[in-house]
Amino acid sequence: MSSDSLLETRALTVRAAGRVLVERLDWRVNAGERWCVIGRNGAGKSLVLRALAGLGVPHREGEVLWQGRAQQDWPVGTAARLRALMPQQAQDRFALTVERTLALSEVATAQGGQRLAELMTALDIGSLARRRADQLSGGERQRVALAQCAVQGAALMLLDEPVSFQDPAHQQVVGRWLVDAVPAGAGPRAWVASAHDPSWIVRVATHVLALLGDGRWHAGPVDEILSAPVLEQTYGCPWRSVEGAWLPA
Amino acid sequence: MPARDPAALRIALLALATALVAALALGLGSGGLDWQLIVSLRAPRVAAAAGVGSLLALAGLGLQVLLRNPLADPYVLGHSTGASVGALVALLLGVQLWMGAAAGALLAGLALLWLARPALAVADDASPRLILLGAMLAAIFGSIATLLLALVPDERLRGAIFWMVGDLSGAAASLWNLAGAAVFVAWLWARGRSVDRLMLGADAAWLLGEPVRRLRLELLLLASFAVGLSVATAGAIGFVGLVVAQGWRLAGVARTRELALLAALSGAALVMAADLLARMVVAPLELPVGAVMSLLGAPCFIWFLARGVK
Repeated sequence: MSSDSLLETRALTVRAAGRVLVERLDWRVNAGERWCVIGRNGAGKSLVLRALAGLGVPHREGEVLWQGRAQQDWPVGTAARLRALMPQQAQDRFALTVERTLALSEVATAQGGQRLAELMTALDIGSLARRRADQLSGGERQRVALAQCAVQGAALMLLDEPVSFQDPAHQQVVGRWLVDAVPAGAGPRAWVASAHDPSWIVRVATHVLALLGDGRWHAGPVDEILSAPVLEQTYGCPWRSVEGAWLPA
Repeated sequence: MPARDPAALRIALLALATALVAALALGLGSGGLDWQLIVSLRAPRVAAAAGVGSLLALAGLGLQVLLRNPLADPYVLGHSTGASVGALVALLLGVQLWMGAAAGALLAGLALLWLARPALAVADDASPRLILLGAMLAAIFGSIATLLLALVPDERLRGAIFWMVGDLSGAAASLWNLAGAAVFVAWLWARGRSVDRLMLGADAAWLLGEPVRRLRLELLLLASFAVGLSVATAGAIGFVGLVVAQGWRLAGVARTRELALLAALSGAALVMAADLLARMVVAPLELPVGAVMSLLGAPCFIWFLARGVK
């Protein structure tokens, strides 16, 4: 196996609430790849990301490998250097500042994390450092969560809807940062992010994993998967491409 | 680092204030400054008050993180009501009160641990289940305690009721409390960063490489021992466990290490001061320390809340 495989699944099946979300997924994410996961609401994107991160899901079979080794064989401390997960919703219960939240999320910054100040500027959260994380707007908190994920310094970032709360300008900001974070085909890193807008995905991703919601899936380069037939299969409505943007017809 | 200085200053000032309260508690009282009296009577009691206050404040701090609920109280998990049952049984049997209380707290703690095993075993947020289990245990023990109260002979009823609201007049085994508080502080200091990360959530802490299951088990054990020890010493003193850690958080302290020291010191100072008042106000009669503290403390805290809402 080549050494740049950051994530691999072998016959991964995830079930929840009596439904098969993904069946026998054989899939591989290499360094230098930017993957978007698409699928309808409830198709299982979040649970699959949780399973890939090693968190508990209601039911799973098959194997997940990080850097060629089964995920359960990695000690919890080392795993933190391999993969990070940005949850869809942060669970803030205590009054912590953004600064403090980010400081607590640092694991391996020396190895590969961006300098904190640069990162905060790039994600447009530089002015929020002293604010309480639990008092930010949804979009601001989401960008802080992305920064938390980044300062962990893991080679593989798993991102559950990094732009769902972002205004159009900040979708651009986040998209640009995501592209810069993983230069296509180069560097030691990769990310996998669930997202909805095919026009955004076309601009930031190199690959797409489509979950059809009944266990079937498609995985491949973005031009291959983001096609009218696959989008229609995925979302259940026809799509057309207008000047590079995808619109539901 | 500029952020370090105010923290150190805060701790130093608080340590000074706590020492002052301790000196007053040792020096004041009927009989005045008699060395013999201070050493043999007041010192054990003041040490018990300090130890109990520290333990309860630390237990509150620990449980607030464990349960991910800033309003958690050391008594939410049912130890204190378990201890009440034990103490009442001891009263009925004519055994030492604190032995019964210790046994009751231990029993309640073990019951909770056993029931909570499945909840603690998953990495997800177990707090709602833990809180509910604790509340159910408290309900069971509470009703047993009420039933037992009906059986307690009248001449012992007063002692039983004093004990249930918190009373230091019969306090013994005082150094155990201080030793227990020291162990708790040492653990919180050693695990400071890990406990800080638990505040981000169990999943988040695990993803950052923290051994979440072990941390929570240790935290639950320490908090259980702290509550059991303090309840066995002085009954169910309220207020201090809920308020101390919460107050420092509201004042903007977020680091576990700093919170541990501040909570231990201010918990000790609070209970020592309350006990001093409890034995001075209507001397030679004594009031139950728990009632005195809540009566004076709660209005102060309300004032603090009303003025400090950000």
